[in-house]
Amino acid sequence: MTNNTMTARERVLRTLKGEKVTPVPCFSGVGNVTTKGLDKLGYRFADLHNDAKKMAEAGMSTWELFGYECVVIPFDLCMEAEALGCVMNPYAETNELLYPTIKEKSKLTSEQLRQAATPELLTKGRIPMIIEAARLVREKVGDKVAIGSYVLGPFTLGGQINELEPLLKGALKKPDEMLEYLDAMADVIILVANHLLKNGIDYVSVREMGATSDVLSPRVFKKVIFPSLKKVADKVASPTILHICGSVLPVIDMMAECGFDALSIDSKTPMKEARAKVGEKTVILGNFNPFAALNTGSADEAYNIAAQCVKDGVNGVHPGCDIWPTAKPENIEAMIRAVRETSI
Amino acid sequence: MGMDKAKKDELLKKLAQGVVEFEDDEVRDAAQEWVDTGEDTYDAIFEGLVAGMEEVGRLFSAQEYFVPEMLMAADSLYIGLDILKPHMIPRDSGVKGTVVIGTVQGDVHDIGKNIVKMMFDVAGFNVFDLGRDVPLEDFLKKQLETNSDIVCLSAMMTTTMMGMPKVIEMIRQKNPNCKIMIGGAPITDDIVGKFGADATAKDASNALEEAVKMIVSLRDIQREAQANKG
Repeated sequence: MTNNTMTARERVLRTLKGEKVTPVPCFSGVGNVTTKGLDKLGYRFADLHNDAKKMAEAGMSTWELFGYECVVIPFDLCMEAEALGCVMNPYAETNELLYPTIKEKSKLTSEQLRQAATPELLTKGRIPMIIEAARLVREKVGDKVAIGSYVLGPFTLGGQINELEPLLKGALKKPDEMLEYLDAMADVIILVANHLLKNGIDYVSVREMGATSDVLSPRVFKKVIFPSLKKVADKVASPTILHICGSVLPVIDMMAECGFDALSIDSKTPMKEARAKVGEKTVILGNFNPFAALNTGSADEAYNIAAQCVKDGVNGVHPGCDIWPTAKPENIEAMIRAVRETSI
Repeated sequence: MGMDKAKKDELLKKLAQGVVEFEDDEVRDAAQEWVDTGEDTYDAIFEGLVAGMEEVGRLFSAQEYFVPEMLMAADSLYIGLDILKPHMIPRDSGVKGTVVIGTVQGDVHDIGKNIVKMMFDVAGFNVFDLGRDVPLEDFLKKQLETNSDIVCLSAMMTTTMMGMPKVIEMIRQKNPNCKIMIGGAPITDDIVGKFGADATAKDASNALEEAVKMIVSLRDIQREAQANKG
């Protein structure tokens, strides 16, 4: 089968299955809405988070405008936390471009998390709305492009629901308590991620940036973080991507061992060294700094950065973080062109 | 009253070591023992606690310590500081400044900011902490109100650092002499240039060093201005 006849959806889903796709797909498992897309729709960023139709339209806009090979919804990191009783601040009243944050933490304990991990959870917060947005996207794009979504990893979600500082100290001082807490958190995440995959989402990223090696030692990662991440990988259907930004070279072998379908790394982790540590079979997506490539640099720089990712052997060109909405259209175009034109 | 050099060295070592190994009890006991001698606690703070924190900074740079270790060490330092500070004879250390610090709106992470704040605190700076998720105009308001030498802005993520250039522009317009430091995971020297800030630092000890340099240069400018007037 010639790769040229594949849809963007097939290209992404085959890549996540470990098949070689040429050229590699240029897509993301995290947010990628642009100001250009928002302007065209006439929406403010803050309006997207609580409206299925607006979320769907904005989610499709980067695919429609540039041929970026994915639709990813939602755009914030609060979905599961809200379902667990936290209150989100969408910053509706400011005109600044701000990502929603949690303003009131529900501070659920391990026991409360276990109790919350029932199908009823899936009716709470914006989970039904996001499923509805996925349905609207599918109605429009059919099988042409894959629809992605994401959940937070156990430690990072813990930091949304509880204060982060005790969690960080707990990882060092009270590992058994933390293991229990993260295991309970994993139950919630498994439930939500499987629900997304059963209801129109084609692939799910698990974002565990709180446990990056800039923050936690490889020793703590192995002892405290790894078990619950592995549980998530074991119990969530495919395809899944484990995304951790920052520097993760010291733990990338453990990330691979978890068993997600793919790993996603950012520019702080050198691709060739990552590949050397986990081998050819591991699907690695990465690894550019979206702000440097798409917002501050020139189109030529964006082209070169994306081409370098391909040359370094990524299985898909993927940003290290959300694409910041004010990304320059000509840079996004250059990135996509580079991926098409560069072969290894 | 007073203590001999051997005792002093022993207590300094206990304070420093206690911070490095986050042994709260050891720090508490050594600090109390020092206070009980009736001696000025200035050295206990700077050659004991702060020396320990500097070692923690070194271990952090060497990637032997990570954020949890840093937080534990900071807790130990504060335990010692609470005991020692009331007994310190204030002195003019030459370099003292006023700092406004906070995490920009859209970002609720304040651990890095708190560690930098601690370094300023112990170094004798007058620190105004605005907290986290701070509306951008509040930085300007506080700077004008306190006439601070330095404003420090923190952001944890690429998606939250974009408020920084706006704050920088507001402050530059009203008070071009104010120095602005920015910090956090996504901040690089390149970003410092693009946002028009004055400096960043890779960790809290370096942030303090940068701040001291800024204060020195600000004082030089003020002295020159003064001299020109005369």
